Amino acid sequence: MPEDRAIETHDLSKKYGDRLAVDRLNLTVASKQVHGFLGPNGAGKSTTIKMMVGLLRPTTGSLSILGRGVSGDNPKVRREIGYMPELPRFPKHLSGEELLDIYGRMYGMSKTERRGRIPELIKMVGLDGRGKDRIGKYSKGMQQRIGIAQALISDPELVILDEPSIGLDPVGMVEVRNMVKDIVKSGTTVFFSSHLLAEVQQVCDHVTVIHLGVMRYSGTLEDISSKVMARRRLVIELEKPVDGVLAALKTMKFATVEANMNTYTLHLNTREDVRAEVSRAVTGAGGVILRMQEEGGGLEDAFLSLVGKEGMA
Amino acid sequence: MPTKKNRAGTLAAFIALLYYEFLWNIRKKKIIAIFIIIFAIATVQLAFTPIADAVANPPQTLQANSTFVFGGIEALTGIFLFLVGVATTMNTVSGEFESGTIVPLLTKPVSKTLVFAAKIVASVITLLAAYSFLVGYITIGGTLIYGPQDNLNLVPLGILGLTIGSMVWASVALTLGTLSKNSVLAALGSFGFYIGLLIGGTLIAAQLGASTVLFYAPGMGATGTTAACAGLERGGGQTFSTGTDGLASMLMRWVLNPGQVLNFCGFQFRASGNPTTTLLASDTFANVAFRDLWVSLVYVAGLLLLSWFAFRRSQIVES
Ligand SMILES: Nc1ncnc2c1ncn2[C@@H]1O[C@H](COP(=O)(O)OP(=O)(O)OP(=O)(O)O)[C@@H](O)[C@H]1O
Ligand SMILES: [Mg+2]
Repeated sequence: MPEDRAIETHDLSKKYGDRLAVDRLNLTVASKQVHGFLGPNGAGKSTTIKMMVGLLRPTTGSLSILGRGVSGDNPKVRREIGYMPELPRFPKHLSGEELLDIYGRMYGMSKTERRGRIPELIKMVGLDGRGKDRIGKYSKGMQQRIGIAQALISDPELVILDEPSIGLDPVGMVEVRNMVKDIVKSGTTVFFSSHLLAEVQQVCDHVTVIHLGVMRYSGTLEDISSKVMARRRLVIELEKPVDGVLAALKTMKFATVEANMNTYTLHLNTREDVRAEVSRAVTGAGGVILRMQEEGGGLEDAFLSLVGKEGMA
Repeated sequence: MPTKKNRAGTLAAFIALLYYEFLWNIRKKKIIAIFIIIFAIATVQLAFTPIADAVANPPQTLQANSTFVFGGIEALTGIFLFLVGVATTMNTVSGEFESGTIVPLLTKPVSKTLVFAAKIVASVITLLAAYSFLVGYITIGGTLIYGPQDNLNLVPLGILGLTIGSMVWASVALTLGTLSKNSVLAALGSFGFYIGLLIGGTLIAAQLGASTVLFYAPGMGATGTTAACAGLERGGGQTFSTGTDGLASMLMRWVLNPGQVLNFCGFQFRASGNPTTTLLASDTFANVAFRDLWVSLVYVAGLLLLSWFAFRRSQIVES
């Protein structure tokens, strides 16, 4: 197993009863990457992550973390991982500092190490002055923050965050993004899930897109637009609706057409620039073009086409 | 092969887990509740005779009673051991699932086995502390109220017996909690189990007498007597519950009077007249207490093994 692989899964699958939540996933996360795990609700992100941290057993397939096979109860692997669960719930009767202290002990940290690390983390996640309060008195966002802090307590080699910014206000989301960027600077591998492209886009260099348990893309963010056929539309506005135009546009193989009064939308399934060809066809059928505009083609559209439902792509 | 550093790390993690467990039980007032139950029971035990004497007409002077402590420990059986045991463990594992705290806990570098072991050790320590407090209180209070006490050297054995006897019920509750991941089900299920055994045991005792089946059932067990079975209906002799609930009494008697023979009598009902009584088994205190001890330990070990296995196999679908 190469040393530079932080996470590697081999045909990893998980079934809940009859429902296949993760379907033969082959995922590789290189060390020191910030890897976004992107997918809509129910895609199988949390299920995959729970297998990585040993909460769930794979139905079939295998995975290894930092070169160690994860099978059964493997505390050695977990020693190197900091994990923040999706919507984490901690013992309400403990204060934020006590929680970090107890978890720190479980990682085998000495008293001195814990004394140094805990105030630092409390400050970093923005809980300054609230560290001695019981977690039961924390707001949802504050629980999320202590969740991030406890994932970092042992200064782990690999940090796995399951939707870290869910439940945070917009300012909090920006803060979390900046925290992730800071973690990465110290050479830590970060794997985090999200259903928000914008979030992944701002912090990650690599991304894996999953939909209905199936991996749809894995690679760098730059490559996504060239490797994935993004949704593109050509919107044409005519002076007035003309009968022949729709028929003429419908003969084009590279697009499907939608008409609404004098506006025609072509959903393209090609990467080519087809504006000249379309223009000729419209004019030939007697239409007068007032406006022709290309829309989409960005990362967002690439993502949407990856996770698009049938008939929409 | 565990290295030295590794083992030190495991020990530190184990102590952290124990600390986690005690903070949970103390802050959630569970341990306090157990101590309050115990304090109330012991106070009633201590104060009953003086109060009864005081309100009697004419008022009686309190008699010195040098066997008060010994008798007091022997009297702690049945539902009391059950309540304390179940209260100690009904949410030990299931509470973690119910609150969702199992997720962050099990993703720390501690094995499920270590987590489970810490929970068991914490439960045993809690029971041991509770019964030490109880017996200490009865001993001091008893000496002050009833004068010097006999056989105080056997008191630690009594504490041990109460703890193990209570652990039988604690293990039942823990197992049901681990299997159901639900504290209420664990408590109710344990109570059902207790009542079922009580009814079953009573029916067997009524029909067959101190049948040897009862030697191996948790709870009150078979009743043994120092009298001969043939003359049982005429009374005389002392009777003892020899089940897991009576372990404290049995262990103390074992040391006090190992050679004393206990008879276990059966009944045979006839169409008319009194039932005849027959001797089913007879054994010395030493043997009865020894069997009681291992029966209790086998139940505890078997149930804990079962819940350990269930806990290890459990997947955490809670989020
Ligand atoms: N405990 C469970 N029992 C049965 N099915 C489950 C369970 N947990 C998840 N699933 C199913 O598995 C699929 C994947 O769920 P998962 O929680 O992994 O999605 P996700 O990508 O994390 O979604 P979200 O963004 O909503 O958190 C879904 O269809 C879900 O209904
Ligand atoms: Mg999820």
